[in-house]
Amino acid sequence: MRPENPAWRLLTVALVLLIGAGLYWATIKVNYQWRWDRVPEYLLMTGGEEVLSPVDGTVAVSGKQIILTPLLGGEPQTFPQIDVVQVSDGEIVFANNTLGKKAGVTPGPLLVGLWVTLQISAWSLVFALVLGLIAGLGRVSANPAARDMAAIYVELIRGTPLLVQMFIVYFFLGTVLNLSGFVAGVAALSVFTGAYVAEIVRSGIEGVSKGQMEAARSLGMSHWQAMRHVVLPQALKRSLPALAGQSINLVKDSSLVSIMALTDLTKAGREIVASTFSPFEVWFTVALMYLVLTGALSVFVRRLEKKMAHD
Amino acid sequence: MTKPTTEVLIDAREVSKVYPNGTQALTNVSLQVRRGEVVCIVGPSGSGKSTLLRTLNAMESITSGEVIMDGLNVHAPKTNLNEVRTHAGMVFQQFNLFPHKTALENVMLAPMQVLKHTLDTARANAEKLLAKVGLAEKAQSRPSQLSGGQQQRVAIARALAMQPRVMLFDEPTSALDPEKVGEVLEVMKQLALEGMTMVVVTHEMGFARAVANRVVFMDGGELVYQDAPEAFFSNAQHERLRSFLGQVLPH
Ligand SMILES: Nc1ncnc2c1ncn2[C@@H]1O[C@H](COP(=O)(O)OP(=O)(O)OP(=O)(O)O)[C@@H](O)[C@H]1O
Ligand SMILES: [Mg+2]
Repeated sequence: MRPENPAWRLLTVALVLLIGAGLYWATIKVNYQWRWDRVPEYLLMTGGEEVLSPVDGTVAVSGKQIILTPLLGGEPQTFPQIDVVQVSDGEIVFANNTLGKKAGVTPGPLLVGLWVTLQISAWSLVFALVLGLIAGLGRVSANPAARDMAAIYVELIRGTPLLVQMFIVYFFLGTVLNLSGFVAGVAALSVFTGAYVAEIVRSGIEGVSKGQMEAARSLGMSHWQAMRHVVLPQALKRSLPALAGQSINLVKDSSLVSIMALTDLTKAGREIVASTFSPFEVWFTVALMYLVLTGALSVFVRRLEKKMAHD
Repeated sequence: MTKPTTEVLIDAREVSKVYPNGTQALTNVSLQVRRGEVVCIVGPSGSGKSTLLRTLNAMESITSGEVIMDGLNVHAPKTNLNEVRTHAGMVFQQFNLFPHKTALENVMLAPMQVLKHTLDTARANAEKLLAKVGLAEKAQSRPSQLSGGQQQRVAIARALAMQPRVMLFDEPTSALDPEKVGEVLEVMKQLALEGMTMVVVTHEMGFARAVANRVVFMDGGELVYQDAPEAFFSNAQHERLRSFLGQVLPH
């Protein structure tokens, strides 16, 4: 290979700067007020977290502890560690009234949203891998029923938009089975991603040479033993890059759960934008946060691949 | 070579095989292998040698006929195929070692999974077998770090680990560089000397002549001729055999 001319890299930098300048110029054209100074507080709040009363009730204050007895009956609720108490003993409060504040730095809405996104993605990934493995094995099964079921699952899921599936899960299954937004979100994402994982697993298995299965069977191993100890380990190793890509997609796809009553990173961004006039800053920040997540994921997978290539 | 017993270990009777695509690979092939016997199968490409070998341990189904191995009717619907296969070790042209496992693990896997040997028993056995094929010091190597000849010797050790009653070889040296053929044949010869029953599909006429008790000639899916090596290689009567030998033997 010929050595690259470093001038190309300079051109890259120049082009990126040009595009950035273009964007900046465009915002000036629409008289956009950049307010980057506001962004940190969406990430970390220093003002202290407000504690709101969940129901109407009577409060009893003792030191930093507030005990709320609901007016409509029910168990009294205890709120410990309220640093700045803003109600007095015996006062009647209504739902969403401020009881007080907790001191110190608390995560802002974007970090809270990121945490939700992270949890949803992690749970969905686990279930999607399990589901995809089962469906992938079904695809290559000798049993026609297993093969058909797996094929129907994969085709149905891959043939319809994720957003539509989300609506179905949330508004139909969610209502029938009374699922929380979180459970519905994880269910929809797992089922969706599982179909793609199934195809990755299938092509991974088909990529392992037939001689491997033959050799294992000729030693008296059952089909399942041969699959588990000989074919699958090789198939999964081959599939790792594709699975990594799919899990990165999963993190990005998780932004669609914001249609459910669930404040993930995207929904948090939307809520902030609705109450402020800083859409650009917020959305750029949100994008950057997704990028950090997906970037970390691909670095992790690259490490894993290197490690697996060694042994 | 060593004298085989008179006890029939494998009895293939009138075996025919038609592949799903309609290819008639075997036509009424009958072959008996006695315990301790070494049988070499030779014949032109596509004559059904591999197919015959693979019907013996049910890696391939048959269309008609039957195969009895040690009293077990191999192709009967009720037969446990996994059990049949534990009794017959198979060695492939392409080695088919498990690339994600070390040589030692390759040999240990099936005994642990199928025979439920403990880790220690399996390892001790595997080490013994690797030493037997001259690869004690390669126990921790991956297949990719071994030469073809070494891989094939590990494959032989792997098959032996199941303590089979018969070893089936399908052109075990055909994928090897010429200079690696000898080391594999040497291991096979040693096995034969120890009294292992062996069925060997091969193009190595020298090996067949020196080690086999009987040589079988197949052509067009039929078992055309079989005899002791001496008589086999000097046979001048059989037309198809003569022309085959004329092509493969040095003049
Ligand atoms: N899986 C299969 N499906 C269909 N036909 C097959 C299959 N395997 C083998 N055949 C055909 O059956 C016949 C016998 O093949 P077989 O592999 O047993 O021959 P062989 O004597 O081992 O040949 P070679 O020396 O080339 O290995 C050939 O015509 C081959 O094309
Ligand atoms: Mg063959």
